Amino acid sequence: MRPVSLAKSRTVPLGDPWRALVPDGALRRGSTVVVEAPIGLGGLSLALSLLSEASTNGHWAAVVGVDDPGVVAMVELGVDLRRVLFVPRPRGAWAESAADLLDGVDLVLVRPPSRPGHGSARRLMDRVRERGTVLIALSEPRAPWPLPADLFFRVTQAEWITSSRLDARYLTVHVSGRGELARGAEHVVVVPNRRGAAEAR
Amino acid sequence: MEQLLAVWVESLAIEQPDGSTLRNTVALADALEMMCPFTEVVRLGLYVMPLRGPSRFFGGDDAVLRMVRQCVLDVVGVEAKLGVAEGLFCAELAAHREVLVPRGASDAFRRAQPLEVLGRKDLATTCQRLGLHTLGAFADLEPARVAERFNQHALVLHRVARGELTELESQRDRRLGHRLAQLRGDTDLFEEQQGFFGQRGAEDDRAEAAAHRVRRRLGAEAIVVANLHGGRGPEDRATLVPWGSPAAVVRDHAPWPGRLAAPSPATTLARLVPLQLRDEANRPVVLSARGVLSATPAAVIFSSPLRREIVWFAGPWPLVERWWSRHRRRAHLQMVLASGEALLVVAESSRWWLVGIYD
Repeated sequence: MRPVSLAKSRTVPLGDPWRALVPDGALRRGSTVVVEAPIGLGGLSLALSLLSEASTNGHWAAVVGVDDPGVVAMVELGVDLRRVLFVPRPRGAWAESAADLLDGVDLVLVRPPSRPGHGSARRLMDRVRERGTVLIALSEPRAPWPLPADLFFRVTQAEWITSSRLDARYLTVHVSGRGELARGAEHVVVVPNRRGAAEAR
Repeated sequence: MEQLLAVWVESLAIEQPDGSTLRNTVALADALEMMCPFTEVVRLGLYVMPLRGPSRFFGGDDAVLRMVRQCVLDVVGVEAKLGVAEGLFCAELAAHREVLVPRGASDAFRRAQPLEVLGRKDLATTCQRLGLHTLGAFADLEPARVAERFNQHALVLHRVARGELTELESQRDRRLGHRLAQLRGDTDLFEEQQGFFGQRGAEDDRAEAAAHRVRRRLGAEAIVVANLHGGRGPEDRATLVPWGSPAAVVRDHAPWPGRLAAPSPATTLARLVPLQLRDEANRPVVLSARGVLSATPAAVIFSSPLRREIVWFAGPWPLVERWWSRHRRRAHLQMVLASGEALLVVAESSRWWLVGIYD
């Protein structure tokens, strides 16, 4: 067995600008990623952009609890819609739906409708580890994900660049996590840019 | 305007719990489509097809009517009511009354109908008190008079009465198409959603199995896939359709004139939320018929008393989609609020709606 192929299969690919900001340039299978942003300040765009590279490389993704996903924005971010399942309104069953989907797709993006409970978060993260998939949880500072994440993106600032229209948004993102990312670092990325994609500044 | 043949099959209009109604609806649709590929199931019990093409092909209107009548008899075993008129609204009425309205006479036919056909009892009663008994009499009222007496909904009905709109919204069952396709077993979506080279891999099977589980847990409408098509605003270009329904995922690369440029809002509301724009002096900001704002918007007010300051805006970008139809004049406006959120709003028929959040 070639170690290269093994290493590859243990991760799910990540697109620009994120691949330069995380170890291995990819999402580790079995890990939980938390994206935290004040409401309306780019958290959803950031989380959706994490799906783009994987979906174009044949990985399936699911989006749970995002009531009204901006499908056009997802295309602009580079997401291949042919491999994305949506459960926009899981009602009370967001954790159960996410768990169901974790058995079948490689990435599940979930936005809990309210403050997520410790128990359901724990069960989901265990399931992720067991199934070797990736969970992306989108949360707000006032309703944070209750457990430490393997990778943590925290939007601290969002600034729109405008001309005669909305041009681009500079997001200041604090990236932290386990291992080499324990100290964390702050980066400024453009999500979305003029074409609606994510890029490094 | 095109003459439509409407086919009204009363026994299919009310859905039976055993599923026979849907099965018969599909069977009849298939049979009628053999005659005319443009046959449409408008809602349960009501089918329409354009008359001109089949009439030429089968040698005259009478021949078509005879064949359709026989077709319904063969497939469903009941007599259909047939009617011909221009526009869906008139065509359905013609079918209920079993009349063939000659070309060009649909206007007179519509004007002679009683007001009840608009399907609003309150409107009919009020008009009768005013001495208006037919659609024609109602149609002759000035739109401004209708607007001051009735609500927005009545204005739409008024336009139907005047013949400016050719159908009532309530005539169509928009979800029926998906349901019929599901019944037909057109669950080809996954075939279309497989990899680039048409190879269906283990990944696709796993995803399908997971989707089935969610569907069992939450119901058929709960798990959806995205469908892209042409349109100007992001709210027009995407629809979410139940997973397993046959609508193909269309790749939308063609330039669409007047399309709103990227970036698009990451949250795009399926149901638009009404809002108000206010200027510095807290007066409502309106969009004129020429697409000009009455004042610089300074704040946005949602249904709650919450007022949020606008720090920047761009637009309006008018979207005159059907230039022959005045009612669909829209304009988009982008704005950034003091809180840092960016919104996309649209003005339509002098009201403002929230379309998306650059979330």
